[in-house]
Amino acid sequence: MLLAAVLLLATALGSERISFLEMTQQQRTILFDIRLPRVLLGACVGASLAVAGASLQALLRNPLAEPYLLGVSNGAALGTMLAFVFFESFVLARPIMAFAGAGVATVVVYQMARGRAGMNVERLVLSGVIVTTFLSSIIVLLTGLLDAARLRGFTFWLLGDLSQATWTGFYLTIAAAVLGTILLTSQSRALNLMMIGERDAMDFGVEVGRVRLMVFGTSSLLVGTAVAASGSVGYVGLIVPHLVRLAAGSDNRVVVPCSAIVGAAFVVLADTFARTAIAPRELPVGAITALIGAPVFIYLLRRN
Amino acid sequence: MSLAAAVLLALTFACDKPDDIAKSTDAGRFIKDDLGREVRMPLKLERAVSLAPSITELVFAAGAGDKLVGVTTYCDFPAEARSIQKIGDTQTPNIESIIALKPLVVFVSTASQLEAFAKTLEEQSIAVYVVDVRGIDDVPNVVRQIGEFFGTLDRANSAADSLFKRMEAARANGTTTNRPRVFVQLSEEPLFTIGRDSFLTALIERAGGLSATGDLPTGYPKLSKETASALHPNVIILSASDDNQRPNDVFRDSPAVKTGRVFKVNADILSRPGPRLVDALEEISKDLTGGGSGTANLSVPK
Repeated sequence: MLLAAVLLLATALGSERISFLEMTQQQRTILFDIRLPRVLLGACVGASLAVAGASLQALLRNPLAEPYLLGVSNGAALGTMLAFVFFESFVLARPIMAFAGAGVATVVVYQMARGRAGMNVERLVLSGVIVTTFLSSIIVLLTGLLDAARLRGFTFWLLGDLSQATWTGFYLTIAAAVLGTILLTSQSRALNLMMIGERDAMDFGVEVGRVRLMVFGTSSLLVGTAVAASGSVGYVGLIVPHLVRLAAGSDNRVVVPCSAIVGAAFVVLADTFARTAIAPRELPVGAITALIGAPVFIYLLRRN
Repeated sequence: MSLAAAVLLALTFACDKPDDIAKSTDAGRFIKDDLGREVRMPLKLERAVSLAPSITELVFAAGAGDKLVGVTTYCDFPAEARSIQKIGDTQTPNIESIIALKPLVVFVSTASQLEAFAKTLEEQSIAVYVVDVRGIDDVPNVVRQIGEFFGTLDRANSAADSLFKRMEAARANGTTTNRPRVFVQLSEEPLFTIGRDSFLTALIERAGGLSATGDLPTGYPKLSKETASALHPNVIILSASDDNQRPNDVFRDSPAVKTGRVFKVNADILSRPGPRLVDALEEISKDLTGGGSGTANLSVPK
């Protein structure tokens, strides 16, 4: 319900005025070809990232786990970049390689974070920071080495850019978002048990390894498609699940699907601001989410 | 014979050797550069470095290209510039290389982050002079001034006169009534265009058109597609680079695309505030009056 209201609001706002009562042909084009796909894409990206964040937090028992902070988003971004450089005309290569990049980053961070002493909050965050910065450096290096003209657009896109939304891009992202949310919600009972501890969860009959694989795989899919469509929109997977938990408790069967809805609303709102604040110029939506997200992150870190 | 010997002797001592050149900066004069900074310009400027492709082109136009000892990796025009030693690029110049070349002056554009290296260079007795070409009108004057610095004033004056004549001719040929609305697309996705702080906005006006985005603040804004689709430009100019070969899809119903008035212009002459701005002016002016070699009937694939 809230989401519907937000979507409606977002569709009504933009750098060009559209009167819903008497729409001209011109305005119809703007609304349906430009604004609507962008708003809907924002919703999908928000939902995907929030759900990925919620399930990663549950699986890793870490309130600071989140695709952007763990370097998963950067892995996806690097995958997208490589796809753009080497398979320029094969558009599907981008989400596929983004998914691969996200998956690799996830595995690397996870392995790094598991020490013999076990995994704790600080260790995971540290591993995430290392992987994120390492991948960032590779991205910057590639941008510098390859032809500047071709990759100029990337710098803006890397900060999160929904302006390249198209209907075809949207179909893939919404399919992934819906599939991912369903898959992860199905694991939420197991995730609830795993939050007590992996050993205890196994005693309860949870196939921990399988759950972990599902969560990693699905969240990589979600992050991969989201990043391939709109670049790195950070902190969504961090803030949204926590907001939902504050309001509705920690039961993952509620948190995971609700994160999808709240995540969608969050990104749509951030993007609406990004494209109206200095209209007709645009701000990168990732910058807006980071402006909100970083202080929230600090707050959570201190509370931990 | 003793007179000849005396003359020969005098000539020998009069010839400057590289180390003497450094000392002769003490005989320089203090002038203000384009940013109002005090710069000690040597009386004889034999060795200089350019930190921007536009500056390299200006120096060559002034007839002093042979006095450039260092240029950036992007300085590719004129052809002679390619064989000059490269010392990095505008944003990250290699200070060690510059110092090793023993220039007397380093000419930088406003795109360089001065503070980082100005002090280091000045400690090595290398002056840093900022060149700021804000619009095409500045070009002939800057060429003359550079000619004065390098002692090539005659060549610089004739180059400046020729540039000025070409500018006047283009203005005369440009349309004054029914100025077409022109959209300059710098990149297709994301959509970047020119705003009021860009020198191209005034150039479009000189060429007889009116930039559709001339009132946007900043120089090179990213434009919302909604606003773009409501612009209805009569002419679209594409700054021809790999990522900018077609007009953005939002323009598919624009008069420009429908009447085939979409023109590609060399990206370098549009982005370098130097003598080739006059080339850009001539080309755009021709395109706007219908005599140009544009890409007619450019279709937007979907």
